[in-house]
Amino acid sequence: MELNVNSVARTVQSPPLTSLLTVLREELDITSPKAGCESGGCGACTVLVDGQPRRSCLTAVCTLDGADVVTVEGLGTPEDLSRVQQAFIHHYAAQCGFCSDGMVVAATAYVNGGGTDDTDAIGEALAGHFCRCTGYVKILEAVAAAARGDECDVGSTASSANNTYVSIAGGES
Amino acid sequence: MKVVGARLPRYDGVGHVTGRTTYVDDVRLPGMLHAAALRSPHHNARITHVDTGAAEAMAGVHAVLTHADVPLLVHGHLSGAGIPGDEPLLAKDYVRYRGQPIALVAADTVDIARAACAAIEVDYEELPALFDVRLAFDDDAPVVNDTFGNWYNKYEGDLDVRQIRKGDTEAAFDAADLIVSGVYRTQSQEQVPLETQVCVAVPEPDGRLTIHTCTQAMYFSLGVVCSHLQMPMSEVKMVGGTVGGGFGGKVDTASDPLTALAALKSGRPVKWRWTREEEMLASGNRGPWHMEIIDAVSSDGWILGRKMLTVHDAGAYGRFSVYGLTKHSFHHTGAYSIPNLHFDGYVVFTNRIPTTAMRGYGITGLATAIEVHAERVARELGMDPYEFRLKNANRVNDTSPNRIAYEDPSTVEVLQSLASATGSELSDELRAMSRDERSGDMLPDHLVAQIGSGGH
Amino acid sequence: MALHRGNGLATIEYPTGMNQNGDPSQAWIKVKPDGRVDVFSGTSDIGNGSKTVQSQIVAETIGVPYDWITYDNSNTDSSPMCTGTFASRATFVAGNAVLKAARQVRERILAIAARELEIDPADLEVADGAVSVKGTPAKSMGVDEVAGAATFVHGELLTGDGAHLNPGAAIVDPESGEVDKPPHAAISYAACAATVEVDDETGDVRVLELTQVYDIGRAMNPTLVEGQIEGGAVMGLGFGVLETCYPYYPSVEHRGDGMNTYHVPTMSGLPEINNVLMENPSSGGPYGAKGIGEMANNGQPAAIANAIYDAVGVWISEFPITPERVLAALDAKREGGGEPRREGRVVAFDEELSISAATSAKSWGP
Repeated sequence: MELNVNSVARTVQSPPLTSLLTVLREELDITSPKAGCESGGCGACTVLVDGQPRRSCLTAVCTLDGADVVTVEGLGTPEDLSRVQQAFIHHYAAQCGFCSDGMVVAATAYVNGGGTDDTDAIGEALAGHFCRCTGYVKILEAVAAAARGDECDVGSTASSANNTYVSIAGGES
Repeated sequence: MKVVGARLPRYDGVGHVTGRTTYVDDVRLPGMLHAAALRSPHHNARITHVDTGAAEAMAGVHAVLTHADVPLLVHGHLSGAGIPGDEPLLAKDYVRYRGQPIALVAADTVDIARAACAAIEVDYEELPALFDVRLAFDDDAPVVNDTFGNWYNKYEGDLDVRQIRKGDTEAAFDAADLIVSGVYRTQSQEQVPLETQVCVAVPEPDGRLTIHTCTQAMYFSLGVVCSHLQMPMSEVKMVGGTVGGGFGGKVDTASDPLTALAALKSGRPVKWRWTREEEMLASGNRGPWHMEIIDAVSSDGWILGRKMLTVHDAGAYGRFSVYGLTKHSFHHTGAYSIPNLHFDGYVVFTNRIPTTAMRGYGITGLATAIEVHAERVARELGMDPYEFRLKNANRVNDTSPNRIAYEDPSTVEVLQSLASATGSELSDELRAMSRDERSGDMLPDHLVAQIGSGGH
Repeated sequence: MALHRGNGLATIEYPTGMNQNGDPSQAWIKVKPDGRVDVFSGTSDIGNGSKTVQSQIVAETIGVPYDWITYDNSNTDSSPMCTGTFASRATFVAGNAVLKAARQVRERILAIAARELEIDPADLEVADGAVSVKGTPAKSMGVDEVAGAATFVHGELLTGDGAHLNPGAAIVDPESGEVDKPPHAAISYAACAATVEVDDETGDVRVLELTQVYDIGRAMNPTLVEGQIEGGAVMGLGFGVLETCYPYYPSVEHRGDGMNTYHVPTMSGLPEINNVLMENPSSGGPYGAKGIGEMANNGQPAAIANAIYDAVGVWISEFPITPERVLAALDAKREGGGEPRREGRVVAFDEELSISAATSAKSWGP
């Protein structure tokens, strides 16, 4: 069967019930979708199928003949980052990075679908995507920034709105 | 300073958001095999018979490992600190927790490896299991740990308790106006890194091993691998440094030495990636803590003394638990200066997964216990929670439970700042407090003897 | 049946570095002929930002731009020993190792530049990738030129190595627990306040707000510090009200085996999190840093428990604080129970949970 993966036509040989995750990772060597749980629970394997976010681990490849599949590699490159990717860098929304592949894809779907910068709406839309590092604060800010269309400088990062700094006399530095 | 203190982007941020960062599971090598483990279905059992013949005969199986394949079966992670090892890399005569690995199979595919695990014959004689740390001291309690018994007994050589004694606790309790006791039990927590335990081991043509590792501690893991395999450090190259979350759960990477052995035995690269279910049910997690605190308090709000009993549920083997308990004991006064202390702590073994490090190791549960207890004492005294905490807060040159003077404590300042940030009113007296060395009203008689000097 | 709000707080402290110390980190640095800097350190980056922070420390210390730094922690053949990324030690202990290595590199750059410029090295400074004469900034040469001269004129390698080891505390006195030197590299302090809403019909607890103050020593990169503190807050929230491997502890039944059955906080329904970051430079950390990653999930659980008492007057001392536990405590209170034993000056809570209640093998109690 045929798949259009990141705008490249690919022929798939795996058995029909193979998950899209396994096809992408093991047959096509596209390793950004991560096998975080392989049971639809974590979101790290999320890709776009015909523009819609899908758990690639739960999607049998035989249901996708001719479909357009986009992984995070297809959203932007280091030289030409997408708006969501820029926002993730500027707002420090990726720490270990293991959830980021799915998170950026899902955030892109949210923004492309007309999602607003409302924190509750973003949280509802992305609640199935686990991140254990960030506490989600900066992910929410990144998605909101992308939804607003903010210009995000990737050479610097932003403080979250909720942090203030004070200083007390201390030891020598 | 220009670069330090600057809000620069992550060094590896572009790779993280474009799918270009390579984690261990993304390593691809020709001829790579896949591993799966046979794990104990029982919480506590004697292994009476193991037969790997059928598994070894299966098409596509390239190596089956049991305890007999491990050059050094028991390595003590903290043997350098005088803490003996107790945990076999693969179970030999006993399994002491459900999920304990007994054998590892390397095969052409994960499915074949799993099928081969299922084909290994193991006979067990089930034994009664112990899960409640409070019952570990009973004469008729099931025996859990073959090296130490039911609780660790090698502190500083041969003590079975980690203890702290400071000041005169009996006198403090005699002098108390109020004595408040509480029991606190905090739970086991899984680290839940998004990347499960994973390793790729590669036998090199020159006889060396390359190990792609998800460890938080490459040199620590190098030491563990070389010890189990009885190889010099020059023979193993750990490749890692980019980890999909750890939170403490990837310090004792059990996957590295076994994958390395499978690569050596099969002569092929081997990947062993744990499923989420294995990560949840068989990887080391934060251990439960049972803590009993009794504080001697004066009616004007000073904590005069503390007695504390801690029983740490380590699971079946020691791993880092003795380290965790010692750290716990050193901090059992929290952010307060309590001059008279009587602390007894035990590392108790139960038939559950051996626990390991997790963020806040030794202290997360402790801080929880201390602070609920502080609130109870304040409420019993009818005292404002900020006032009670500020009054007892540690200050410069107060000493810790193990007699080290505090150098730059900021408990007073962080509490004042928190009150300000939350709109909580503090009296002028409390607002004027500082961390400076005690004097005047803040240096009552009971705190004089504990003052240290030199500060750190 | 109603919703009740309450506030609670907690104060915590936490050591930097392994308890009892004795945990070395080492690093080495070389400079390419064009002045670009290669750092070799064995510190894993688990998301905490070791690569970023150590690169910043090196750039600052040598006096070159951040983007001149290549950071390699990829393997144990080229990188020297580092005990690892845990115990809040990566910024402090490993950071000190790269700091010392960078100082050596800086000295060697100054020595070569002094020969090139025919001036005493003490009269030179390095900043922004250039060596200049103090007070006469016009007289200068680029670090790239210095590196070229070192390589092709003087036949030298610009390199540096550094190691940091807080000496291990001596054996703990087994009787008293006394140690003869500090068992920590530094200590951080923090306070946390929680606002909760408790449903007295269901026992459900919603954490509405967490306000936290952290003594961070000095921020090497404020955004990364915030990331640690925000992430820790949500992990502490999970510990406080959601997560447990053994829901019926000490029973081992009903263990969650996946992301759908072990409950980790998600992006939905999070509390508002407000932080104050207090700079209180340590005496021994690089540029005054302290380790704050690990302590970041320690304050929330007690603050939440104390807020629940404030809201509905019940103490929860077994964690996590599940609706079942809250409801059981509320039911006991409604039936006139749940009170501590009061006898003279003794107030004894939770006696039913104590070791003395479970066994006669260990006696303990007020």
